[in-house]
Amino acid sequence: MIYQKNYMQHFAPIGLFLLTIIPFRHSFGQTIIRQSKKQSRMEKSAYVCLGLASNSSKFRDFATSPLNYNGNLTHLSISRLKQNNNKEFELGLSYDFGKMNVNINDQITSSSVKKLDVFYTKLMRFNKLSFNGYITKVGFEVKSTGIIRSNPSLQNNSSGIDIFTNILGVAKFTRDISRKTTKAKKLLFIKYRLNERNRDIALRLNLGLINSNARNGFAYTGQGQIINAAKSFDNYKFNIFSGVRLGSQINYTSYLKNKNAVQLSYIWDAYSTKGFDKFQMANHAIKIALLFNTNNK
Amino acid sequence: MNIMTPKRVIYITIIAFLYTSCDKAIFKKNQASTDPIENFEYLWTQCNQKYSFFDVKQIDWDAVKLKYASKVYKGMSNDSLFNVMGAMLNELRDDHTNLISYFNVSAYKGHLNAPDNFDWRIVVDNYITNNYYKSGPFAHNFIDGGAIGYIRFPEFTGTVDNKNLDFVLSKYKDTKGLIVDLRENGGGAAPDVFNILSRFVETKTLVYYSRIKNGPGHNDFSEPEPAFVEPYNGVRYNKKTVFLVDRGTYSAGSFTSLATKAIDNIVLIGDTTGGGLGLPNGGQLPNGWTYRFSITQALTLDKKPDFENGVPPDILATFDWSNLKKDKILDRAILELQ
Repeated sequence: MIYQKNYMQHFAPIGLFLLTIIPFRHSFGQTIIRQSKKQSRMEKSAYVCLGLASNSSKFRDFATSPLNYNGNLTHLSISRLKQNNNKEFELGLSYDFGKMNVNINDQITSSSVKKLDVFYTKLMRFNKLSFNGYITKVGFEVKSTGIIRSNPSLQNNSSGIDIFTNILGVAKFTRDISRKTTKAKKLLFIKYRLNERNRDIALRLNLGLINSNARNGFAYTGQGQIINAAKSFDNYKFNIFSGVRLGSQINYTSYLKNKNAVQLSYIWDAYSTKGFDKFQMANHAIKIALLFNTNNK
Repeated sequence: MNIMTPKRVIYITIIAFLYTSCDKAIFKKNQASTDPIENFEYLWTQCNQKYSFFDVKQIDWDAVKLKYASKVYKGMSNDSLFNVMGAMLNELRDDHTNLISYFNVSAYKGHLNAPDNFDWRIVVDNYITNNYYKSGPFAHNFIDGGAIGYIRFPEFTGTVDNKNLDFVLSKYKDTKGLIVDLRENGGGAAPDVFNILSRFVETKTLVYYSRIKNGPGHNDFSEPEPAFVEPYNGVRYNKKTVFLVDRGTYSAGSFTSLATKAIDNIVLIGDTTGGGLGLPNGGQLPNGWTYRFSITQALTLDKKPDFENGVPPDILATFDWSNLKKDKILDRAILELQ
């Protein structure tokens, strides 16, 4: 038997996530601020976010190669974000594309990669950890990632499609670092002014709690073409409660006078399947996003 | 009470960056290596787990490892290592098995161990003349005084389309028979097999089975899955047809030959095919070289894998190289269609 179910793998990530919260030793139950829905809607700022990033990525698919393929992917994203100090919702998608290579033994092998992520995040304020300009929100993200790879040197195994669908626990720590008043400064003999600026810095941690994936079966390729029954996802296996996903994100957001904002981010997202012939991928992206305010709040 | 003391902020930040550095938690040791022994072991193990014909061909893969491992040593050149691993793969006696580097490609070349049974120039000079038609991948013309149609199909290019087949089969619809020449056809795109055969059946026809490796044991296979040919909804040919084959007929050519055993109006004439009834995979070694080998088994209608060593003809015929104006295999096919 090739695949062995280990249900402890399902519960271990939940325990690990809780370990990051336990040092503060306060219960969740009473700490989430309740507001009326109408009040909450009126106070939330709504944005359409357009992002562009350079994603330094690597993957390894043991089913076809023991080698790490590395490369820079171009990352585009669009999302709808609604947030205030108490709640945050984001629905969006991103698309990464490019070539990834391995260079060894005087030869370079390339794989083209296309990756699509669809995500939904819901966060609620955790009041006991929100104080003096620090806001802590906790919640979840549902994220589905599809990766299409093409490497002609792998003959009939040239095409690979891997799908990860995860429910992640999310903790986000935001610090308001706004400059409330204009300041006059001097560098050597140069005088300059630092104007008022509304901005914050946020750190976000993601931990996969329920992980699942779909990918090629043991033989990798399917035999549909030789039995006149070619089909998509031929010989694919679906694995529930299997795999790992971790992520972190640091955002610096500067809000403009017109209520729009510019956001600089570093994003790390990594995942792996479990069992025989693993697939692993890690992404490190430096991203700039324009947040267009749509409700003037 | 201020919960977010500076210490706790630092604590969170450290945890965050621990997570961030956890590429290592997901990506274990980098396995890129030019070490000859590591690469030899890797290739042997991949074959051991995924190759599909050990039992059919009665190959003792452990004994093969003993034989070739002694020839591998640290510091050996790429060329030497390639030759040793290529020779090891050739023990599988399978032309779907190759080791590929930027400086060489290993191949079993089984057809070179068998008689040569085809010369295109003899067919053109003495049978179809140089006024033959070229419709897509098919070269064709009338022979035997216009009574028989001859179609040469040299490779399963994946470009067979309905317009080609409609033209070809319509041209010969009034002949008493057709000859489709698959000699020295090394195979190619599997869909061409069914595109062609669909013109020669009148009902949905089960032609063979196939099963795929689903575990590392030599006998870990899926349940056999049936392969059907469905009649084409258009121009078909239902008179007697001869398919010519030889040891150079391989892969998709062998699949076609196997399928004809289930089609009553098709006769195989020539020599046993070269085999190649397993779909090859693809993979890469720690040193960057790539490889492929068979990971499926095609089975006869009684679910036996016996034809991997070659699909036998219905009528055995061989070439006579003492007379270069006659293709004796083609002559035997013409006789069969009288």
